[in-house]
Amino acid sequence: MRGHVYSVAGPLGVFALWELVVRAFGVPVYVLPAPSAIAKKVVADSALMLDGLAMTLMEATVGYAVGATLALAIAIAFILWPRLERVGLPALVALNSVPVVAFAPVALLWFGSGPGSKIALVTIAVGFAVFVNAHQGLRSVDESAANLLRSFGAGPLRQMAMLRIPAALPAIMNGLRVAVVRSMIVAIVAEMLAAFKGLGATIFESTQQIDFLRAWAAIAVASAASMAWYGVVNWIDRRYVFWR
Amino acid sequence: MANGTADIAAPILQLSNLSMTFESAHVTVVALQDIGIRIGRGEFVTVVGPSGCGKSTLFNILAGLAEPDAGAEIRYHGETKRALELLGQVAFMPQRDLLLPWRRVVDNAILPLQVEGMPRAAALKRAEPLFGEFGLSGFERHYPQQLSGGMRQRVALMRTFLFERDLTLLDEPFGALDALTRSLMQRWLLEVWQKHQRTILFITHDVEEAIFLGDRVLVMTARPGRIKLVLEVPLARPRPSSMLTSPEFIALKRQVLAAIEEESVKSFQQTAAD
Ligand SMILES: Nc1ncnc2c1ncn2[C@@H]1O[C@H](COP(=O)(O)OP(=O)(O)O)[C@@H](O)[C@H]1O
Ligand SMILES: [Mg+2]
Repeated sequence: MRGHVYSVAGPLGVFALWELVVRAFGVPVYVLPAPSAIAKKVVADSALMLDGLAMTLMEATVGYAVGATLALAIAIAFILWPRLERVGLPALVALNSVPVVAFAPVALLWFGSGPGSKIALVTIAVGFAVFVNAHQGLRSVDESAANLLRSFGAGPLRQMAMLRIPAALPAIMNGLRVAVVRSMIVAIVAEMLAAFKGLGATIFESTQQIDFLRAWAAIAVASAASMAWYGVVNWIDRRYVFWR
Repeated sequence: MANGTADIAAPILQLSNLSMTFESAHVTVVALQDIGIRIGRGEFVTVVGPSGCGKSTLFNILAGLAEPDAGAEIRYHGETKRALELLGQVAFMPQRDLLLPWRRVVDNAILPLQVEGMPRAAALKRAEPLFGEFGLSGFERHYPQQLSGGMRQRVALMRTFLFERDLTLLDEPFGALDALTRSLMQRWLLEVWQKHQRTILFITHDVEEAIFLGDRVLVMTARPGRIKLVLEVPLARPRPSSMLTSPEFIALKRQVLAAIEEESVKSFQQTAAD
């Protein structure tokens, strides 16, 4: 209960201070608008904001789902077939050392300026975050517990389903949590590079048109959406991975 | 045998010449040396020895989890087997309870049945009548984290018993329990054993426990683990706890302790001379 109070009071305090500073010193809008002004702008431009949000969320969630699914499948395959791991793991580690944004030009070239390129980039970003955590979790299962299942006659598949995957859930959930913020960031940054629609595109166009308030409004909507989504993943984690 | 059912003439398990060496980059540890054992059907045999003498290693081999050095002979039901062939053939309860925290008590208990492919509903039906007997009535839907040490151990035992195999291996099942709980559990285990007519090989580092439970006691030496003494326990069953202070019991205890002590002194002198 106390934790909840702090997690609400903290941001409220920051907003209040922000508002106060902007008003007291008469900070111009192009430097930093007041939170109240941003909020009003969100409401005023709500149709545009919702439109952008819908596109960005679609890209982020589709990329998230594809990336997370692929990552889990690859991590499980690596544990089941160590030979595959010996070949595949170094390649993945090498790829992971390249920042995702570096793939952006290629993604735009291959998938165009529409949502396809954003989904591809989010898939990569989410995929690595989930893979690293899932792989670690599946690997570090208690050897004696695996032996107990073997003594009951469990083969690799049964050990995977009954022991390794559940035991790795806390680690997998960590990956899924980190991936939420990553997927929103990557979708928005990619939209800023080239896009027809989306919060990133709105931010980019607004700054071009010197409408900084609108850019801030889009940023506010993006972070609110990010936080809400993060909250959902967190709730699922608490509810279903209760034993950690 | 005291149990009246044990049949040493048709042994369920025979080991001879069994040694186990662990080799790593720097050291070679001979964990077991020249172990020879015969276990009769229905027998309750206890293995006692100082910690580190290779008791758990022996069980890992019998559960099919490790292969002994070449030259060992393992006969299970009269047939020569490699250790690996025993995987899934022996009910094994490791030293730690290893209950899965995401499974309720019921679901932990039926784990081996589900591994064998039995559907959950059928497995639950099979397990149901055992909860009372294992002192777990009313706790079926609890999670292991919510149980005391003694109850967790009973869940692990129930899990082992539901994996119905001709030989049951119990590795220090009561080692972590307080003295009172432990003595309750010992008497309870004897009841369960007599009712279910299982063959049990039971590891302990507690001499009293070994004698109180066993038809025979195998005394192991400190590293390298060898069988130093095989002691018949001619005490009548059921055994009341008052037996622990009887002259016969104390005489047996003295015998076991003397065997262990002789070895300890030897290995102590060995270490001192190194
Ligand atoms: N996998 C292993 N590698 C190397 N040494 C081991 C291994 N397992 C056990 N040992 C060694 O073998 C000896 C016997 O161990 P263990 O069987 O666990 O003894 P106990 O159960 O009687 O306490 C110990 O000295 C231990 O360090
Ligand atoms: Mg041990």
